[in-house]
Amino acid sequence: MFCSNPILIMNSDDPLPSSKACCSSTLGPALGLLTIRIWLGLRALATGIEKFAGSKASEAAVLIDGKPNGYGLTESASEKVYGLSHYHGIPEGLRSAFKAEPLLPGFSLDIYDKVLGPALIILGITVLLGILPRLSLFAMGLLYTSLTFGLILLKQDAGVAWLAIHIILIAMALIYSDRDKCVLLGRKW
Amino acid sequence: MKPSLAQTGSRRDFLKMGGLVGAGLVLGAPSILRAATGQSAPDAINVGFIGLGKQHEVLFNAVKNIPGLHFNAVCDIMKNRVGGAFSRIKNAFGNQPARYTDAEEMLAKEKDLDAVIVATPDFWHSRHTVWALESGKNVYCEKMMSNTLDDARAMVAAMERTGKLCQIGHQRRSNPRYLFTLNELLRRHRICGQIVNANGQWNRAVGSSQDIQVKASILPDKETLLKYGFGRPGKDLTLEELQHRFLNWRFYKDLSGGPISDLGAHQIDVFNWFFGMQPWRVMASGGRNYFKDREHFDNVMCIFDYATPDGGARAFYQVLTTTSAGGGYFESFMGIDGTINISERAAYTNIFREAGTAPSWDHLVAQGYLKRSAAPKAAADSSDAIASYESAAPETYELPGGLSKPPHQPHLENFFEAIRGKAKLNCDARHALESEAPIYWVNPAAESGQTIIFDTEHLHV
Ligand SMILES: NC(=O)c1ccc[n+]([C@@H]2O[C@H](COP(=O)([O-])OP(=O)(O)OC[C@H]3O[C@@H](n4cnc5c(N)ncnc54)[C@H](O)[C@@H]3O)[C@@H](O)[C@H]2O)c1
Repeated sequence: MFCSNPILIMNSDDPLPSSKACCSSTLGPALGLLTIRIWLGLRALATGIEKFAGSKASEAAVLIDGKPNGYGLTESASEKVYGLSHYHGIPEGLRSAFKAEPLLPGFSLDIYDKVLGPALIILGITVLLGILPRLSLFAMGLLYTSLTFGLILLKQDAGVAWLAIHIILIAMALIYSDRDKCVLLGRKW
Repeated sequence: MKPSLAQTGSRRDFLKMGGLVGAGLVLGAPSILRAATGQSAPDAINVGFIGLGKQHEVLFNAVKNIPGLHFNAVCDIMKNRVGGAFSRIKNAFGNQPARYTDAEEMLAKEKDLDAVIVATPDFWHSRHTVWALESGKNVYCEKMMSNTLDDARAMVAAMERTGKLCQIGHQRRSNPRYLFTLNELLRRHRICGQIVNANGQWNRAVGSSQDIQVKASILPDKETLLKYGFGRPGKDLTLEELQHRFLNWRFYKDLSGGPISDLGAHQIDVFNWFFGMQPWRVMASGGRNYFKDREHFDNVMCIFDYATPDGGARAFYQVLTTTSAGGGYFESFMGIDGTINISERAAYTNIFREAGTAPSWDHLVAQGYLKRSAAPKAAADSSDAIASYESAAPETYELPGGLSKPPHQPHLENFFEAIRGKAKLNCDARHALESEAPIYWVNPAAESGQTIIFDTEHLHV
């Protein structure tokens, strides 16, 4: 994995000497930040992947005495599947509500619809792995802020509050990013 | 144009029907109208439509899923609907059906048609069906067969005279859920035991029973409406009156049998089909209590009596056009061991076993004939329950499966399979009329307040 022990890749210009006491004082914040990043990363990744989820309905003949019945009675089963063809960026219910909002022009909705899923997946991966961590967290913050804007227009207060929790976590991760020790690429960014 | 069954050598053979003698038919066991079997008929069946209103759209949405059909011609006296059906066919299949505003002209010109689907107002069914049969076409005609018994009888006579197939649109007769319930649960396993009562209804809210309105500019003109029978002999109706009769033909006595025939046809047909017989008497009551200016009763209740091999049984039916509560539309067969509530809507279907007295159904569940349902039981110990009034709460079960197609599709499939010689009709005109005949007597019974005891004059086909 990219980071097994945060102490091992501690920054060389770290002011703290590598005594047992100081290591344990940096270990806590480093693990705390990692926890926040894992949460935010998985959250975005899973949400992005779910945008490619759909269901496949199948019909099977009902078995009577172990044999398919002769009447055409069927039992339906629905299976969850993933694929590009199932992609839906903005859920249908929200989409039609957004369409009715004069402050959200139609073309921006279309772009947003196309970009949202892939953006969540990419940012989920970069935040999780620590690739350009500050920029990734900032971009994620902007994305959630834009979603918040839409929900404010629709007066979805619970959704706004829920996204605000994400924003607080992102802001915390950015504020304490100096103490982030698990970075795969682009430590300064 | 695709090759028609009419052009293939096999057609004459497999549509040949022998011995169409009407006597001795048993309701629900149509066997006479069977095309000769063993033919390979991969050719497209050429289909025409007469009547392109609301029900046509329902039928088209079902029929378009059936392979091996070619939609050649469409006809309606309303040009706008002809255009709509033309576009539906062109968009779905790419071909351009011939367009007609007169059914006789279509039947005369479209020599290649194998089948015609009739979905015109009830008072036109008989003429359209008889003309189509006589011009060599097989016919699928919507229920109710006609607004008069004599016209319905003429349809049976034409079917038998011409040897063509005539399926009546009682689509439940081909629905796997109904066929399974009748053949497996009621007849083979007799899960209800002796059936003592049947109960059926179609409850429809005031909101769904309002006058149909369409913008006047697309409606047929006065001359057309008069030509096609929407006038009233001896009365000079205004254009508005004619248009009202055209759109709302169900409200007028000379154009339709009213709610008991329009909606009741479905459930009362199931009573007669499942009991396998005609009732021996009917009593009825009805009134114009809300829609006071309609010619037909807006609410009708009736009771049919049957003499079944197990003993007497009664079937109560109500059609309400003023209230939808009470479970929508269903038919219920109530026996000493169990009750089956069946409906075209799976959601209204329930099966109950009389707990404590009926034989166990566990083996039927194990074999897959029934599913146990988790429906709530009435709590026997609640404070409002008086033990001496209560029966043990029945256990609830479900059918083991459903229908994964539009509800009219199996009936249409059966019609086309019969044309191909691979099936017998599930509801040919004779069997349909044996079942429909008692319905024609409900309004007279309700109007006169008299019980009608049926004799062959009333019910003969
Ligand atoms: N089986 C079912 O579940 C079911 C359900 C609804 C209706 N139906 C039946 O379907 C039939 C049609 O009902 P609908 O609701 O579609 O009625 P509708 O009034 O909507 O349609 C009837 C159509 O027939 C046309 N028409 C009238 N006279 C004609 C003529 N002489 N030649 C050609 N076209 C003519 C009208 O212009 C109209 O377009 C009725 O018999 C009704 O009982 C059956």
